[in-house]
Amino acid sequence: MRTLDIGENTALRNAIAVVDAPVRPSPLSSTLTFTRRALLKIKHVPEQLMDVTLTPVIFTLMFTYLFGGAIAGDTRTYLQFLLPGILVQTVLIVTVYTGFTLNTDITKGVFDRFRSLPIWRPAPIVGALLGDTVRYSVASVITLGLGLLLGFRPDGGVVGVVAAVALLLVFAFALSWIFTILGLLMRSPNAVMGVSMLVLMPLTFASNIFVAPETMPSVLRAWVDINPVSALVTAVRGLMAGTATFSDVAWVLVAAAVITAILAPITMRIYRTRS
Amino acid sequence: MTAVDVARHTALLTGRGIRRSTREVDALLLAVALPVLLMVLFVVVFGGALRPDGRYVDYVVPGVILLCAGYGAAQTAVAVAGDMTEGIVDRLRTMPVAASAVLTGHVVASMARNALAMVAVVAVALALGFRPSAGPLQWLAAAGILALFVLAVSWVSACLGLVARSVEAASGFTFAVLFLPYLSSAFVPTETMPRALQGFAEHQPITLVVEAVRGLLLGTPTTTAGAAVLWCAALAAAGATGAAVLFRRAR
Repeated sequence: MRTLDIGENTALRNAIAVVDAPVRPSPLSSTLTFTRRALLKIKHVPEQLMDVTLTPVIFTLMFTYLFGGAIAGDTRTYLQFLLPGILVQTVLIVTVYTGFTLNTDITKGVFDRFRSLPIWRPAPIVGALLGDTVRYSVASVITLGLGLLLGFRPDGGVVGVVAAVALLLVFAFALSWIFTILGLLMRSPNAVMGVSMLVLMPLTFASNIFVAPETMPSVLRAWVDINPVSALVTAVRGLMAGTATFSDVAWVLVAAAVITAILAPITMRIYRTRS
Repeated sequence: MTAVDVARHTALLTGRGIRRSTREVDALLLAVALPVLLMVLFVVVFGGALRPDGRYVDYVVPGVILLCAGYGAAQTAVAVAGDMTEGIVDRLRTMPVAASAVLTGHVVASMARNALAMVAVVAVALALGFRPSAGPLQWLAAAGILALFVLAVSWVSACLGLVARSVEAASGFTFAVLFLPYLSSAFVPTETMPRALQGFAEHQPITLVVEAVRGLLLGTPTTTAGAAVLWCAALAAAGATGAAVLFRRAR
């Protein structure tokens, strides 16, 4: 084995010499980096927006034109009632993908790489959740665009619509912690999707999205009355119609805060111990 | 090859199809669970809004039975496509097996599977409050129309299974069949639909079959039974002929 001459030795020493480590990124910087990663995923795999596009279109057309006449007497009246609910349902269905993509990252081993980096621990999860907000916004725009095209007219005006979407995004962010937990616990992305849909079905269908609770059996009505999604739909409907009360909106914000306060720490604990 | 041989081969391959169904528990459960969930959803959640008198269950059950039958029968496309792509058909062709028995086995197995699924759906419907006023003859007539409908959809599915390049492509057809009952009188009367949809909904075969079964089970006069039988028989004949031609060509 040949020995290095003086020149080579110096070059090698310089190459491996201890220098000041780069400044550790702040929690905000780390989170925004992972938010950008989530957005790049959408850019590179735009097919993942197919569900976001198709779900509201199918549900809106089907319920308005096939069942609207039977439920409300005519399709236009029913569309005014239905569209805010469909908007809520669409965005809540999209929250499932938070857990799905997280689980995909875990099963591929990407998260093991993230954990070895000198970054704020929750950054990958919080960044992904913030990135998903763009997905929710796309879903909202598509649903509202279709609604306006079909004849939906929000009396609350632009301010009411923007406030309704903002409230919906806050609640969706809170709800997505549930699916993040499932993403951390489940063995495969398909399992996450299956269990998430089981969670979402009673929340969306057993609510006031499609029909007024007064038409439901008393047992079901009792659930609809305490279902947080029903409160959200009532608030969104009210904001879009310009009839929302302070308590309608406050209930949703309190529910979102409580869900986040309970589930965010649980998520972080699972993330530290399981992933 | 005698008619007895053909019948024996068909029975053997039908047995194979039924055994496969019992082993694919998830598919069997889905074929029953999906219509049952839809029925519970429509009766419990939407029923009061769609029909305030509380008897929506009587209106919707015939439609759900048909949806169950159609979805289950459409699974034939998946089974046939699976056999075509996995090479089992090539193996059978090297043996002294009646060519017709391969597809007929799938279709008969589909009918047996769907009979079971429909019985399960009717049982849940009765638990939900479905109260048919049909006598034994009407039940028999309704069962006959449904059997003919399953036969028709199964043969059409077999055709599509032969054309499909993969099992995934064939499974897409099952969802198309699942959607068709919505564009009929299965869930709501066609007169409540916009005019453009109404024209299609009133004249498509599923509406004729649903109205015939509904009339027979609820004891109300029905004028669509004859047309329903003709439609189903024509579709079954066209499907069987098409499947035979495609199967020969696949050689």
